[in-house]
Amino acid sequence: MKERRMNPRKASALKDFICVVPALILIAIFTYYPILELFRISFTDWNLLNDTYKYVGVKNWKWLFAGSGTKYLWNSLRVTILYSIGELSVTLIGGMIFALIFNRMTRGFAAMRAVVFMPKYVAMSSAAVVFLWILNTDTGILNYILSIAGINAVDWLGNRHTALLSVLMVTGWRCIGYGMMVYLSAMMGISTDYYEAAALDGANAVQKFFKITLPMLSPTTLFLFVTTFLSSMKVFQSVDILTQGGPYRSTEVFVYNIYRYAMVDFRMDRASTVAIFFFFLLLIITVATMKISSNKVTYDS
Amino acid sequence: MSKEMNQNKRNEAAKRRRKIKTAAQCILAAIVMIIVVFPIYWMLVSSVKSQEEILLAVPTLWPREFHFENYINVLNRGNFAKYYYNTIVMTAGILVSQVITGVFAAYGFSKGKFKGQNLIFLIVLGALMIPIQVTFIPIYIMMANWGMSDTFAGLILPVAVSPYFIFMLRQNFMAIDDSYIEAARIDGLGRVGIITKILAPMCKSALFTVILVTFTDGWNSYFWPKIIAMGEKRRVLTIGLAYLQNTFAGQETMNNHEVMAGAVLAVVPVIILFFIFQKYMLTGYSKAAMK
Repeated sequence: MKERRMNPRKASALKDFICVVPALILIAIFTYYPILELFRISFTDWNLLNDTYKYVGVKNWKWLFAGSGTKYLWNSLRVTILYSIGELSVTLIGGMIFALIFNRMTRGFAAMRAVVFMPKYVAMSSAAVVFLWILNTDTGILNYILSIAGINAVDWLGNRHTALLSVLMVTGWRCIGYGMMVYLSAMMGISTDYYEAAALDGANAVQKFFKITLPMLSPTTLFLFVTTFLSSMKVFQSVDILTQGGPYRSTEVFVYNIYRYAMVDFRMDRASTVAIFFFFLLLIITVATMKISSNKVTYDS
Repeated sequence: MSKEMNQNKRNEAAKRRRKIKTAAQCILAAIVMIIVVFPIYWMLVSSVKSQEEILLAVPTLWPREFHFENYINVLNRGNFAKYYYNTIVMTAGILVSQVITGVFAAYGFSKGKFKGQNLIFLIVLGALMIPIQVTFIPIYIMMANWGMSDTFAGLILPVAVSPYFIFMLRQNFMAIDDSYIEAARIDGLGRVGIITKILAPMCKSALFTVILVTFTDGWNSYFWPKIIAMGEKRRVLTIGLAYLQNTFAGQETMNNHEVMAGAVLAVVPVIILFFIFQKYMLTGYSKAAMK
């Protein structure tokens, strides 16, 4: 009855709106509402082991910035940035090198490319346990190969100097083919006219790469940089399986820090405070990278 | 005469140089490929070795005997059969809910017309900046209060909508000319009909690509299942594998052959999909995201 009284255009608009309602409701409940909740919890003393909680003002924020939590906050920030730099180097530089190596349009090379890209689809948990086995101090094959070369066994995951490197090995193994694939599909889009013109001018391969390929790929590099940087900030799984943040918190990345407060210590108040900080960190990075990407890109005109 | 010979010589030299370059590239590619493939090879080989063989000080590159019962052990004793069931139901649930909410929302944002459309779309896109790694604490408390820990609803609901899915599909729907929609409307098709009979078939390959990405992301997901399904009842493969690793904590090398069998079991479905649908999967993460 109501619909009949409504004018058709309004009814149509209502139906169109209803199409987006389910998505909107779920996003409201599971994305935006939790952010507000995080703020609220950060002002309480909510320990999951207690039945009740009360509001304690900015106590948790003091704990985070000028208390016992500060040291761990900066530690996890430092570890995450180091990890990000590692993942970015592998994806961008390694991916570019792989793209140059596999840049040949024959069937055999296409098959090899597919194989190099495959680790991206190997679940991180499977990849992590495989590397746990390869890197095993006593019976791992990597230490065996090193022993043939006369190098003493390395405690890859138990040593604070190599633990993060080990985590990065797994990440690198899964990401490098992805970087290669993205670069290769972009390389195919570069017109051969540029290279022919450069050849007429007597440019060699190295010059061609630095004067044509690299600048022409800058939008791709930026895209890879932004997406890889943001996803590397959220790293958790490999750390959880390989090192649990250890040894001596040398691999305790940001998300693992939050996870530890929430699911190991049951300190929802502290975990929420760190989570809010993390939220703003991601927000700043996203906005900053969006600003950069709208300014500093060479486009093919 | 001598000029011509010089020219010939130079051509020969260039040809030889190109040949050397090609050979070098092939060798380099082969070496790189062997290194990349090795972990997968090692996983497969270790998964069929016996416990004694896996503990040898000098690793064997090829198993002396094939112990396929490792797989049976993992499926039964290691409970992987149950984890398989849980993973399949969870992934299917995520897939169905993301496709339904995603397709309708994409229609609303591309072909629909209502007040505040752009603002609401921005709100949806904004959710991309807020990953579950930030919001899991309140979601966990909320789901626990609703009695949804260790349930499929708990595993699926928080990821039932994907802003990425909506965004990708909206881009593709927008590229379709409005005249098709008008014609369908005149033929008496409603919104559901337009989506299922016109828009979805016209964006078949894009839709399929996003569905494959959704499937692999769901199948391989780890963080949220770890939080919400702490018990064994609804444990998924990725988490089960981590537990299998720690079954004999302290002496974890003891069952590495079984852990490797579990690792193989966990990746097999996705890898099979990868080889069947290479065309889509190779571009899935790259080309699709660049539009």
